[in-house]
Amino acid sequence: MRVEKEINDLVTACAQCFYCRVCPAFQTIKWESVSPRGRVYTIKGLIRRKIELEPQLVEDFYKCTTCGACEEQCQTTLPLVDIWEHVRAEFVKEKVAPLPAHKKIRELAEKSGNPYGEPQEKKIEWIKGYKYNESGELLYFAGCTASFRAVELAKNTVELFNKAGVEFTFAGKDEYCCGSPFLRTGQRDIAYEFFKKNYNEWKKRGVKTIVSSCAGCYRTILIDYPKIAKELGLDWDFKVMHTSQLVNKLIKEGKLTPKKFEAKVTYHDPCHLGRHTKVYEEPREVIKAIGAELIEMDRNRGESFCCGSGGGVKSQFKDLAGAIGKNRIQEAKETGAEYLISCCPFCKYHLKQMAEESGVNIKVADLVEIVNNLVGSSDIKAEDIKCG
Amino acid sequence: MGDIPKSDWKVQRYLYTRDISSAPLITLLLKYVDEIYQPRNEEEVMEILKMAKQEGATVIPRGAGTSGYGGVLPVKDIALFRFSSRKTIMIDTTRMDSFEINEDEQIVECSPGAVWWDIEKKLNKKGLTLRIYPTSAPSSTVAGWIAQNGTGVGSLKYGGIAENVTKIRVADFNGVKEVEGKDLKYYVGMCGTTGIITKAWVKVKEVEDMHYYAFHLPPHKAGKLVYEGEHYAALYLDEGYVKLKNQSFGTNLPEKDTLMIATTEKMSEGDEELGEEIWETRFYPMRVRKLGPGLVAAENVLPVDSIPAYLNALHRMVKQPNGSEIWYVKGKKGAVLTFIPSDERKFLNYALTWRQSLRALRTAKKMRGVPYSLGLYLSCESKLLLKQDYEEIREFKKKIDPEDLLNPGKVFPKGVFPLIIGIGQKVVIL
Repeated sequence: MRVEKEINDLVTACAQCFYCRVCPAFQTIKWESVSPRGRVYTIKGLIRRKIELEPQLVEDFYKCTTCGACEEQCQTTLPLVDIWEHVRAEFVKEKVAPLPAHKKIRELAEKSGNPYGEPQEKKIEWIKGYKYNESGELLYFAGCTASFRAVELAKNTVELFNKAGVEFTFAGKDEYCCGSPFLRTGQRDIAYEFFKKNYNEWKKRGVKTIVSSCAGCYRTILIDYPKIAKELGLDWDFKVMHTSQLVNKLIKEGKLTPKKFEAKVTYHDPCHLGRHTKVYEEPREVIKAIGAELIEMDRNRGESFCCGSGGGVKSQFKDLAGAIGKNRIQEAKETGAEYLISCCPFCKYHLKQMAEESGVNIKVADLVEIVNNLVGSSDIKAEDIKCG
Repeated sequence: MGDIPKSDWKVQRYLYTRDISSAPLITLLLKYVDEIYQPRNEEEVMEILKMAKQEGATVIPRGAGTSGYGGVLPVKDIALFRFSSRKTIMIDTTRMDSFEINEDEQIVECSPGAVWWDIEKKLNKKGLTLRIYPTSAPSSTVAGWIAQNGTGVGSLKYGGIAENVTKIRVADFNGVKEVEGKDLKYYVGMCGTTGIITKAWVKVKEVEDMHYYAFHLPPHKAGKLVYEGEHYAALYLDEGYVKLKNQSFGTNLPEKDTLMIATTEKMSEGDEELGEEIWETRFYPMRVRKLGPGLVAAENVLPVDSIPAYLNALHRMVKQPNGSEIWYVKGKKGAVLTFIPSDERKFLNYALTWRQSLRALRTAKKMRGVPYSLGLYLSCESKLLLKQDYEEIREFKKKIDPEDLLNPGKVFPKGVFPLIIGIGQKVVIL
């Protein structure tokens, strides 16, 4: 397999110290072939023709949620997530990837504009009844998961914006997938197509700031989009925010005055929001502002343990995603918290499922849902959240 | 073999035929392990040993594979001067990683694959802490470090690992036994050549308030200061290493010889901010590898009064950028770890840089030094390291493992490696 010189330099720098053993996939499967060190050896082996590119090797290479826990511990500070994504893209070029589930998601996205294969028109349905503008400087990017699978998050977010008097625009059916599932699984070309559609739409609407309630979308727009724009020779002058940051700002400015949330909570740092983009404190500041008692899990912030669903793992390796998620649920349970709060619909969706499957009695909620239910009244059914 | 997790997949065999060393040409003398087993308990270890004995297969135990002495590398039979090939089985202790803390006795009962820093985190919750641990603590395992006879952080006050385990359990072809006291010498530092460690009782202590001080001192003064008090740990970074550290960490530390002392005592002098900064990066000595990319290292243990002359000799000898760090050890000794960044893909240059490792060893020996550990690469130095115990331990090995199935070629010199390294030390003047 041929890789760029830069990747060759990077894998040569690996100290092989195995501090990356914190990898949730390795912690679950226990074999070197799924560990970050093993993947680095694998790349070296492929470059030096010591091993051959075979299906099992490719499959094990994809047993990685791209959570970045390895990168956080790396003795030689290697950009490991970039390396994994780059090599996955090489696998796609070599036609040994994508894996079946990832290929299916691409087929759905090619037809519909989103990885769930839902009609784009549905993206406009959930927002009916809420106030938003056709154009404006601030854009709410709901993301596909909140639009189709965790609609309550999208609704709570815009209801909260309305309560705080936040003027925003929303692209509706013209909001395309951010491309994250495809960038993570090596299918870069389609991500570039979605980038172009979103970019043009934002420019058309006069957008200057993009707010997303999905950690995956936020990471993609904050980190990947400027690189893609540069490659395509386009200007990149958008400011990107996660809703937790905006909500924190609104509370600090006095534009939101939530009631007290008298509950014991623990907070799960989504990998894309925490390790990837270093947003650790704002969600915690919001939790503090609503008066909840925050009990940290043993592994938090940079050492947070992944929920198990990212990087294409949930779609292709359900058992692995489940085992990692249940591990995290167990850790949350050990805190004695009533609520497991996160800031990512993908994490929430998966952790909630895993809590149910494990029979663990913990309520899984997004931070925005909780805050919205603490500000005035809400029309959204919030079955698990007791406020006041 | 019941349902013991096992792999004989070629890629997995390739991945497990590694440690942190990347010695040039050496791979020509190595083979892939044939099967890797991940036992979950002592009974499964015994089951694997029984099968190995029946099949005449060799057995290599492996912790995290974080040593650089080749102790977990499978050697070709021909390189051991055997003309019939034997199957090689690896026992990977990854799944045997549990441990239990006995607060009253301040002992942790550890399975072999328990990771040092996992233990430390749990201990801290109970107000306890390890007495000593390796600088690879985030990944290295209890049995792995015992099998290396390691010294590390805390060894200034508490000595090496042998002084910090009260007892171990060991499996061999005859069964499982508990070993303590003087008999530990048959297993500590033996790389699994005399038995597979299945449990270890490690001494711990109460957490104490620690202070960290940095001093800019030449090595002879540093050595003196270290042993003037009852300090917990001391790390010396020579100017060359500080330069490499600045380049690889992106820091701006004063580029001078620097001593860091970690102590419960209050010291009247010393830079506490710098001391803490050095302490916090103690687990990252190999970050300098990215400067190569690649690294040649030498690690020798010398009497403290020999260290200044040894460092001087290294400075004269090694022309490439290089640096040394020294962890001081109880008994007025220092483990000197020298780093020479070198691009491991540039074969000739990298191979020539490796000879510096042998030159450093030869220089250390002239100054009453010994290698830090033996493994595969330095088995030729076992008489020097084990001294009067060598013959006794060798006889013990013959008795319990007459067919030399337990990690052959390691610790006890056999085959091509001791010849190459022995000759190499004589001709490194090149």
